[in-house]
Amino acid sequence: MTETQPLDSTTYDVPDDAEPERCPECGRPFVREELVTLHRGQAHGGRLDADEIEAFEDAYEKESERLRLFRLKALIALVILYFGLLMTYALV
Amino acid sequence: MASLANRRLARRVVTVVALGVAVFAAPTVTAHGGSLGASARESVTVPTWLFLLTGGAVVGASFLLASFVTDRRLIDDLHGWRATVPFPGRDSLASIARVGGVLGVVGVVSIGYVGPGNGLSNLAILVVWVGWWAGYAMSAYLLGETWSTVNPWRTIAELLPSLDRSLPPMGAWPAVVGLLTLIWIEVVSPLADDPALLSTVVVGYTIVTLAGAVVFGPDRWFDRVDPIAAVFSYYGHVAPVVTASTGIARSDGTQRDDSEEREDANRLTVRPPGVGLTRADIVTDSSDVAFVVALLWSTTYDGLVATPAWESLITPLVEFGVPAHLLYPVALAAGFVGFLGVYRLAARSARSTGETYLAADELARRFAPPLIAIAAGYHLAHYLGYFLSLAPVLATVLTSPLSPPAIVPVFSLPGWFGAIPVASVLAGHLLAIWIAHAAAFDLFPGRLQAIRSQYPFTLVMVAYTMTSLWIVTQPTIQPPFL
Repeated sequence: MTETQPLDSTTYDVPDDAEPERCPECGRPFVREELVTLHRGQAHGGRLDADEIEAFEDAYEKESERLRLFRLKALIALVILYFGLLMTYALV
Repeated sequence: MASLANRRLARRVVTVVALGVAVFAAPTVTAHGGSLGASARESVTVPTWLFLLTGGAVVGASFLLASFVTDRRLIDDLHGWRATVPFPGRDSLASIARVGGVLGVVGVVSIGYVGPGNGLSNLAILVVWVGWWAGYAMSAYLLGETWSTVNPWRTIAELLPSLDRSLPPMGAWPAVVGLLTLIWIEVVSPLADDPALLSTVVVGYTIVTLAGAVVFGPDRWFDRVDPIAAVFSYYGHVAPVVTASTGIARSDGTQRDDSEEREDANRLTVRPPGVGLTRADIVTDSSDVAFVVALLWSTTYDGLVATPAWESLITPLVEFGVPAHLLYPVALAAGFVGFLGVYRLAARSARSTGETYLAADELARRFAPPLIAIAAGYHLAHYLGYFLSLAPVLATVLTSPLSPPAIVPVFSLPGWFGAIPVASVLAGHLLAIWIAHAAAFDLFPGRLQAIRSQYPFTLVMVAYTMTSLWIVTQPTIQPPFL
């Protein structure tokens, strides 16, 4: 993760009306709380207590579930793409 | 950058072959003159729209496939692989290369003026286009970047006193203008037909470069302003061999690699191809982004102005009274602005698909290095066949530069070689997809977030692949009205 990157004012661009979730360790703004949890686990893993580590693992697990769904969709898209092209080649 | 000049040179090759001069195999050079268009056209036996659709689908599918790799540790392991090989005598080889570079540029300029006037038998033309811009440039992304050592202007500039002024705060914009200017000169002037003109251009470049290096110091000049050094340095990050300019992070860089990749006089570090592009500090600000986009646009522009579509587009304008010599630079600038605009638009929409507060400029910066892989793929597509077929000519003329033999051997490429350009174009895109994927995983904490951030960039890449494949399926003509 990007822990070592310098945090300067040009790196982030938070809209005025937004209320970002900020990382308590480094102050980086995130759109959702889940992303802060994931970020803390990856970038500041050594500084988290047991509860926070558990929260990270939960968030990671939840994301893995959604990732499985995404993979299924990606697989379907690949199959459609492949056979779609195959049919097209057969027709022309 | 120089494929147009080369097409002119290639046409000469065709003429020579047609005259029945020594050829190694069957005379099929006509289709393989080094232009991507000619070779790619041969392999297309399906309708153009389907060919384009397939090219776009390959890039889209590779994005979907890359999205299956979501294990950060696996990505880090793949990219972190390094090997060192012993390479004794590295320093002495570097000194020889420096001397050779200086002698080379002196030789090119003088032979350009006093050698034969015909492009194909003049060593200056052959060394610059075949030896340097085709063959040597390939070595930068296929093997490793050596231009920062060989660069004769740098060698000379380091011997000269320097005023050591600091650069005006313009970032890499002067390099962008320099690159676009070089391309414009290359497209509108007969640099491959007229050795004396080529020498004059080299002398002009020498004056500007040495003056700049004296005023600002060689390091600042070649790191930030000189477009040729920048092109080679960017290409070098694609290469598997780590060299001086591609291994150690810049002073403002923050990469973890530098300690392990430090220069060792008698060793070479080898890495998987393309992983040099994952470093966060290659493209430092929005002017660097503009340079990378200019590099990519220049390959497209080169092909575009040699299509019949371009001719029919500008014919009414020229008939209306618009001078053609104005249309070429205007199109060059407009296309560059258009490309940059589309890329920045993609970066802005990645902010919403990737659910992030990272600034659009920062996203544009981090996802620019993959474009270098695409540019390298196009360069290989343009020049591999061209280089292989003309390398024997270069070798023959090299033995007697002032009175070259009337018969020069041209290597005729086998028929299957026509597939190589399309394959290298696609390989460049696939590498780009992967590098962007890795950069996204480096940048975003969420895995789905990282994948979704790539939607706009992938769309742009698919559109770009299809555009370039369309250009390469067009017949290649002489750029009109010049």
